[in-house]
Amino acid sequence: MVGLDAAGKTTILYKLKLGKVVTAIPTVGFNVETVEYRNINFTVWDAGSQDKIRPLWKHCYQNSQGLIFVVDSNDRDRVVEARDELHKLLSEDELRDAVLLIFANKQDLPNAMSAAEITDKLDLHSLRQRHWHIQSTSATYGEGLYEGLDWLSNTVANKKSNPIKYKQHETQLGNTNNNISLVYILAWMWELVR
Amino acid sequence: MSNRVPGSGRPSGGNMRKLKELMHQSDNRTCADCGAPDPKWASANIGVFLCLKCCGVHRSLGTHISKVLSVTLDDWSDEEIESMIEVGGNSSANSIYEAFIPDGITKPGADSSHEQRSKFIRSKYELQEFLKPSLRIVSLNTGRSSLQTSISRKIMDTFRSTSDTSRNHQEGMVEFIGLLKIKVLKGTNLAIRDMLSSDPYVVLQLGQQKVQTKVVTSNLNPVWDEELMLSVPQQFGAIKLQVFDYDTFSADDIMGEAEIDLQPLITSATAFGDAGMFANMQIGKWLKSHDNALIDDSIINIIDGKVKQEMSLKLQNVESGEVDLEVEWLPLDQ
Repeated sequence: MVGLDAAGKTTILYKLKLGKVVTAIPTVGFNVETVEYRNINFTVWDAGSQDKIRPLWKHCYQNSQGLIFVVDSNDRDRVVEARDELHKLLSEDELRDAVLLIFANKQDLPNAMSAAEITDKLDLHSLRQRHWHIQSTSATYGEGLYEGLDWLSNTVANKKSNPIKYKQHETQLGNTNNNISLVYILAWMWELVR
Repeated sequence: MSNRVPGSGRPSGGNMRKLKELMHQSDNRTCADCGAPDPKWASANIGVFLCLKCCGVHRSLGTHISKVLSVTLDDWSDEEIESMIEVGGNSSANSIYEAFIPDGITKPGADSSHEQRSKFIRSKYELQEFLKPSLRIVSLNTGRSSLQTSISRKIMDTFRSTSDTSRNHQEGMVEFIGLLKIKVLKGTNLAIRDMLSSDPYVVLQLGQQKVQTKVVTSNLNPVWDEELMLSVPQQFGAIKLQVFDYDTFSADDIMGEAEIDLQPLITSATAFGDAGMFANMQIGKWLKSHDNALIDDSIINIIDGKVKQEMSLKLQNVESGEVDLEVEWLPLDQ
């Protein structure tokens, strides 16, 4: 989970983790938490975003299946900076296959831009071959966050069951499949014993 | 890296120097809102220098009220620096924003609670209650709506402070001094926990943070070769390393543990400062002793501008087993 400073990342993380609003100081470094939702564990890296820290983002997005980009919808002056930072991220090789969820956060503030306006300003329609979704949120009031995670989990799951990709997966990990069927058999025996 | 205001260009080195000079002016050596020493953050549009805690409150007001930047970690635009210089620092800003503090209201101190701090900062900048009466903005409409929002906020605040109580006040409030990139290389001669072998994985824990490697199935000499990351707070203890055997149907079995003392690494790295300035060299050592898990002294090196430490640990409270790690320290200078 990345975004410009003061977009609300830490507040989102702990609203999801603890269901309450924490008072965040600027994150100089990374918070990492596992958030469980609908039986899926999301390991969420909340990355600090002062200019000199941004180069360190690359250390935490290895193997990421999803990228959450948080935007302060109320900060009209920096939406261009947000757009540039987002497009720079999307050109990273490690994030080639990651699906993109955008939280248009701080919708509770008086002058917030709408999700449609942010879609436009972030140039999201120019994205090719990328699954993306924008969600209006207010981390302080807990609105929109779970709708966003719903999309994220569905999209990551669908990508996995995509038939072409699945085939590759199967040939690479033929062995694992045997293990899985073995597990099923064991589970079945376990039921019989009980 | 990025232009904060489009077209404004990157700040020249000279301007950044002016900003740092302003920060070192005597009235700016304490936080404008609570008086805490050595503030390194600022509200660029208001023109005040702030401590980290007050800066957290400023950020929650929204950028239409306060735009917070770090003097040391953020890139500033020329306009932002010039407007800070124009305001002239904490004393002159406070002569406006704190012109009339009514009886009964006291300024928060460095140790004040978040609630006290937050209340004062909202009154001072959002509602602008302490301005000279002639300067107060009294447009009926905006006044009403901001009053409404302030009332709903007050309700939310009370709600928050009651639901918060004193439990877990640390989340989102931890200052980190650096990151550890820990490459878990391999295990040797690990203990048997299943019929003939084990399915080992490694868990690293620092404070509340916990990260783990993948499971290598049926292998007592597993090669994980996996990089894990931990954030290091100002107050840090040892890393607890544990090896577990993954079991499908029962709880995972422990296969030994070890503690990693971070003090030698962080102390020597801090003493040397910017590792990029030095050629490859040894800068410190974590010594093997009877009360730690080291198999040999563990050397701390600068390699290609990076601070790295390799270590082999003998697992404790178990029949056998060793784990090899490579640790890299990434400081977050403030």
